[in-house]
Amino acid sequence: MEHYNMNLTLKVWKQKNTNAQGGFETYSVKNISSEMSFLEMFDVLNEQLINEGKEPVAFDHDCREGICGMCSMHINGRAHGPWAGTTTCQLHMRAFKDGDTITVEPWRSGAFPVLKDLTVDRTAFDRIIEAGGYISVNTGNAQDANCLPVDKHSADLAFAAAACIGCGACVAACKNSSAMLFVSAKVSQLALLPQGDPERKTRALNMVAQMDKEGFGSCTNTGACEAECPKEISLTNIARLNREFIGAGFTSEK
Amino acid sequence: MKWSQFFNTSIGKKLLVGATGLFLCSFVIVHLAGNFQLLYNDEGKAFNAYAQFMGHNSLIQFIAWGLKVVILIHAIIALKLTFSNRAARPVKYAVNPGNQTSSWFSRQMAIMGSILFIFIVIHLANFWGKFHYAEMPTHTYAGMEEPLKDLYALSYETFQNLWLVILYVIGMIGLSFHLIHGFKSAFQTFGLNHKKYNGLINFVGVWIFGILIPIGFALIPIVIYLKK
Repeated sequence: MEHYNMNLTLKVWKQKNTNAQGGFETYSVKNISSEMSFLEMFDVLNEQLINEGKEPVAFDHDCREGICGMCSMHINGRAHGPWAGTTTCQLHMRAFKDGDTITVEPWRSGAFPVLKDLTVDRTAFDRIIEAGGYISVNTGNAQDANCLPVDKHSADLAFAAAACIGCGACVAACKNSSAMLFVSAKVSQLALLPQGDPERKTRALNMVAQMDKEGFGSCTNTGACEAECPKEISLTNIARLNREFIGAGFTSEK
Repeated sequence: MKWSQFFNTSIGKKLLVGATGLFLCSFVIVHLAGNFQLLYNDEGKAFNAYAQFMGHNSLIQFIAWGLKVVILIHAIIALKLTFSNRAARPVKYAVNPGNQTSSWFSRQMAIMGSILFIFIVIHLANFWGKFHYAEMPTHTYAGMEEPLKDLYALSYETFQNLWLVILYVIGMIGLSFHLIHGFKSAFQTFGLNHKKYNGLINFVGVWIFGILIPIGFALIPIVIYLKK
């Protein structure tokens, strides 16, 4: 692909802290290489701001190779930008043209309060996992893996669900700020395997209850989460979560 | 989890909305089949006899009242969910993705549902209210002893008003757009998402409930208006 440089105008959300009123700041960056990642472009912007004696833009990032789930920008109305199946760190500047204006916002959800600028607090996801996104295993020697036969197809589906990196793009993309795709991936990866079976009912009930408590909206099956998920988690997981939850709700004895 | 807790969760409420919605889908088939009798050229004999039966059979009347309750349950829970979904994002985005990530129909459920609800209220006032609670013209057909309430004549009179015909067509556009997403969405909410059946569910939702049935309903006032 041909390399080119570009000058861009950035409209970036700036917010001092959770309680402060935020607003857009406009910046221009020059000579951005088409081979830079979106976050590298932000590094250039922040260098520039520091040299000018201004405060840099706060944004989340960690591994920068698309597997940790920390980066989280809403770019021109799209969670993780315009490319499908891509995190912001793997979005490259060749997705943009010279002279473009790019609007960058934080994930917007009551359950993900803005901490500063583009960083949001996603610990609501951690509390959902604590509510049931685990299996209880007694200590002692690990048993032979072959003792638990797993169908290859189920293992593949569980693996595809386990690809969820918990970045929150599903919540950001959903018009209802629903966390159903995240919760369904976390329920599915265990429900599909024998190890997850013993606690499947309490897991589904507790995780959904915690999801509601955190203030996420409900799912209206628009499919925006699946379209934006950098790990391309399927909507079939949401159907599975519904089955797990409805089945547990109709049969639980408590 | 107790029933009261279960039906207070987001999925529990959606289950109720989906189940009531599919029940209402079954109703529109029966209603359309009955209403097509308005287009017979028999001076309303078949339609009025049908209306007489539907309006006086106790089992049908029980279901008809149940239907109104179901509509209210569907609308109230869906509205509650809509408001809490809006509240889940207190600060809105400056830029929205539009149709890039979801279908337009899937985002208009509350608006189309509201149009449909207003239509249903007007429709009930136009016919059901008058049939049961107002003076109605009657017609005695050959071979029948008792005169029948002439709902057929009332329909022909009502649809001489072009504005009402337009309103009914708008109501049916609301029905169409609501069901294009609503029918298949209910199945997803029940957890029924399987590649062997998704094609069929999608086809029935879009073509039968989303297009064919609303066109059938909309044709009735249009044909009646054009007849005279």
